[in-house]
Amino acid sequence: MISRKEVKAYSAMPPVFEDITCGLASAPKLPKPMVKETRRVIALARKFNKEVVRPYALELDSKLQASPDYIPWDFVEQANEWGLYTGWIPKIFGGKGWNMPSLAYFIEEIASECLAMANLVGVHYLGVSTLTSTGNVRLINQICRQVAAGEKTHTPCLVSLATTEPGAGTDAEEIDLMDKGTMTCTAERVPGGYKLNGTKVFISNGHLSTWHMVIAYSDTSKPSENTVVLAVKTGDKGFSFGRKEQKMGQKGCPASELIFKDCFVPDEYVCFSPEQIRSLKRTVRETGMQMIDYVVSTTRAGVGAFGTGAARGAYNEAKKFAAETEVGGKRLINHEWAQCMLAEMLKNVMTARLTYVEANSANGLYGAFRDLQRKPMFYYYRLMPAKFFDKMVSPMLEKAFMTKTFRRVQLDGQTDEEIHRTSGWASLSKVAATDLGIRNCHMALELMGQHGLRRSYRVEKMLRDAKLLQIYEGTNQLNRLNIFKCMIAGDCPQAVIFDE
Amino acid sequence: MIAGTDRELKMLDKASAEFARKELAPERQENDRYPDAPLFEKTIKKAYDLEYFHMILPEALNGVGQGVAALCVILYNICREDSSLGGLIFTNAAAQELHIAAGAEEILKAVTEPADSIYNFLIAAPVFNNPRDMDNAADAAMQDGRYLLSGRVEYTVAGNIARHAVVPAKTEDAAGCSFFLLDLSSEGVTVSAPIPSLGLHACPAVDITLDRVPCSLLGQVGEGPQYFGKMAGRMSAAAAAMSAGIMKGSLTEALEYSRGRFQGGKRIVDWSEIRMMLAEMAVKVKTAECMVSRISQGIDQQETGWQEYAEAAAIDIQRSACGLTTDGIQVLGGVGYMKDFGQEKRFRDAKHIQALLGMVPTKKLRLIEGMFR
Ligand SMILES: Cc1cc2nc3c(=O)[nH]c(=O)nc-3n(C[C@H](O)[C@H](O)[C@H](O)COP(=O)(O)OP(=O)(O)OC[C@H]3O[C@@H](n4cnc5c(N)ncnc54)[C@H](O)[C@@H]3O)c2cc1C
Repeated sequence: MISRKEVKAYSAMPPVFEDITCGLASAPKLPKPMVKETRRVIALARKFNKEVVRPYALELDSKLQASPDYIPWDFVEQANEWGLYTGWIPKIFGGKGWNMPSLAYFIEEIASECLAMANLVGVHYLGVSTLTSTGNVRLINQICRQVAAGEKTHTPCLVSLATTEPGAGTDAEEIDLMDKGTMTCTAERVPGGYKLNGTKVFISNGHLSTWHMVIAYSDTSKPSENTVVLAVKTGDKGFSFGRKEQKMGQKGCPASELIFKDCFVPDEYVCFSPEQIRSLKRTVRETGMQMIDYVVSTTRAGVGAFGTGAARGAYNEAKKFAAETEVGGKRLINHEWAQCMLAEMLKNVMTARLTYVEANSANGLYGAFRDLQRKPMFYYYRLMPAKFFDKMVSPMLEKAFMTKTFRRVQLDGQTDEEIHRTSGWASLSKVAATDLGIRNCHMALELMGQHGLRRSYRVEKMLRDAKLLQIYEGTNQLNRLNIFKCMIAGDCPQAVIFDE
Repeated sequence: MIAGTDRELKMLDKASAEFARKELAPERQENDRYPDAPLFEKTIKKAYDLEYFHMILPEALNGVGQGVAALCVILYNICREDSSLGGLIFTNAAAQELHIAAGAEEILKAVTEPADSIYNFLIAAPVFNNPRDMDNAADAAMQDGRYLLSGRVEYTVAGNIARHAVVPAKTEDAAGCSFFLLDLSSEGVTVSAPIPSLGLHACPAVDITLDRVPCSLLGQVGEGPQYFGKMAGRMSAAAAAMSAGIMKGSLTEALEYSRGRFQGGKRIVDWSEIRMMLAEMAVKVKTAECMVSRISQGIDQQETGWQEYAEAAAIDIQRSACGLTTDGIQVLGGVGYMKDFGQEKRFRDAKHIQALLGMVPTKKLRLIEGMFR
């Protein structure tokens, strides 16, 4: 009926078979214990919600309304005690090594109660995945082990990502825009390291983090080819915090200004520089974009989980309200129109979730989770005792060849199609789920009338919190353009992007 | 646009726009911190002195009797900059309209005529709940020929800054609620702290607890929902004007910012996606202005079917405002989410105002009910 050749040809027609079957293709390859582990992770999140998040969410929001300079160390210390900052750090680097897709489920759970607190946990992994994406195994090992030590010593050690500059937000997220924009955070080569100057803004968890992955440029006239990633520690000479932003929502999670004035970063804390990657198969510029995609393919899927959480939180509160309240002399939940509204909201939650699950299936097959989810690696990490990694493997990670090999496998091992598939799906999830999150908050407020306006009914906070999701990790407009770039432009050779 | 060609309205338009720009815009962020910062009493007093609180009230009742169009012009301009003041003017006007709908002009006159300050003039009311939606009424009991109110009335707007309030209460002899006017300084009245809410922070709402508080019945017992319906018909134009003002403010700030912000080597307004977002916003603003102008005129001229037009337009404009203010933040990117700009407040206020006069779904259903009658 159909020949092999035809199958191949038809599958390659848009939409390409691999683009639309990530979940299907990934299922048989997944190690079985991932399901059980994910169940445990979700249960842990629910327990954490019950004991920590829900009782404190409104109070923290109110606290910051009254005193905007408050820094939520109390929450971070609790999250640290619960092991949340090492949960998704691989065992080889001293963490607990929970499977990576389970982080998104975890985030959805926390976000359904409080997006700010979900961010206080989730943004740490934005920093960690940036560090991991540099492939600098020595530094990944060193910094992640400090995070693990911070858990043991009850002194939280968080990692932030500092990309955005006052004059460059969207530009900093996209190589094609970077060179046209005005990047001002400079890393000047000096003997023994780099001298860092400039300002970063809106850095989530800035004031709370010990390590900051700072993106800087050794030549600002061509940033795309001169990007360096530096690990800067709070307290380093020449580094200080500026203002803490006053935001509409997610008040519990600080957005900080980071100021660098002749801050010397020694070579040993250079996570990534053009010199380090010249031997890879792609050009420096292409590798720079690949690294951005590598990070955002996981973190934007994570924002998809935040959006799903927002949609779910709003749905939960609306459902509860509808069951308890009479409207027009009859329970709200027994009005047919209200039933349909709730069904629509649930549909939004489920749809949003499917997008991040699919995006993470793509990451498992073609991106950042691939190596960790390969069955031999998965079982190796799982079955070997932590001590083995601490004593035997960790010293090996100091060797330069490990970084070289890791980068080869991680970066050279990914095809252009795979980069586009993972990045495209992540943007798609980010846009779809965050828009649905906002949609559900609106619907919940409409269903709850004057009650919805009150902080104590929680949904007004959810709406304020959720709006941020459409902005950070690249605005939804930039993410739509990335969907075009990754998933549409290939079908139309005439297409040009970011050049009108 | 909202003022049309009417000379008097045009003057009012100019004056209120100037007032909003000078008095409201510079203090917007600080005023919004209420109750963590003081209430903007001076500004409220100025608006009172300019008779913005008297606009819709007939001259015979100590008002200026300018009609709905004038009220809409003022609210539109004020809400471009800060809708909290708009919320106070709206609430007061709605309370006055409830009296008039009930034929209780004399009771209203007893408040407005001797009033020598905004505190004595202002009437609080739970303007976010239509009594046909949720039960938010006290209990009224007759004793010695007068009604005494007990119980709780939630989310009463301006209840902590006004001398009087109009509240719904249930009587033994009627199925529907009735409206009563009470003096909030009476014994037996307890007013909660301002309720932390989504928007309109400087237009506070409070829960009122009553314990045998004497009051005056407005109109007939059990007719509360009808009076509310009548009032809501006229006031929905005013609510729509508030949303239209917010939309205009959001578009103005987005336009301004997009001309000055550079990304990718050019002004963001020169990226066609941003231009398209601004265009969508402009379409919504123009349509809203057009509708507010037309419906307010229709109401003042008692055109056939004005109530349905006004209510439908309000639903549409308020929905539109929620979408538009989301994009208003988006055009500014990260800074749009910060208190330094007006966009985040407009986003919250737009959603808050959508809940005026009742729940969104039931407002829609009532519109269609009216058409079936
Ligand atoms: C609370 C908060 C927390 C944050 N946390 C972090 C963090 O932890 N680390 C970090 O590095 N950054 C962080 N950010 C920054 C965030 O990623 C940026 O705000 C975002 O990328 C947008 O950049 P911008 O704010 O400079 O907006 P701009 O880039 O100035 O964009 C303004 C508008 O122009 C549009 N636009 C820009 N360029 C184009 C184009 N080429 N085509 C079409 N439209 C365009 C945008 O879509 C937007 O609508 C955070 C931001 C906030 C608000």
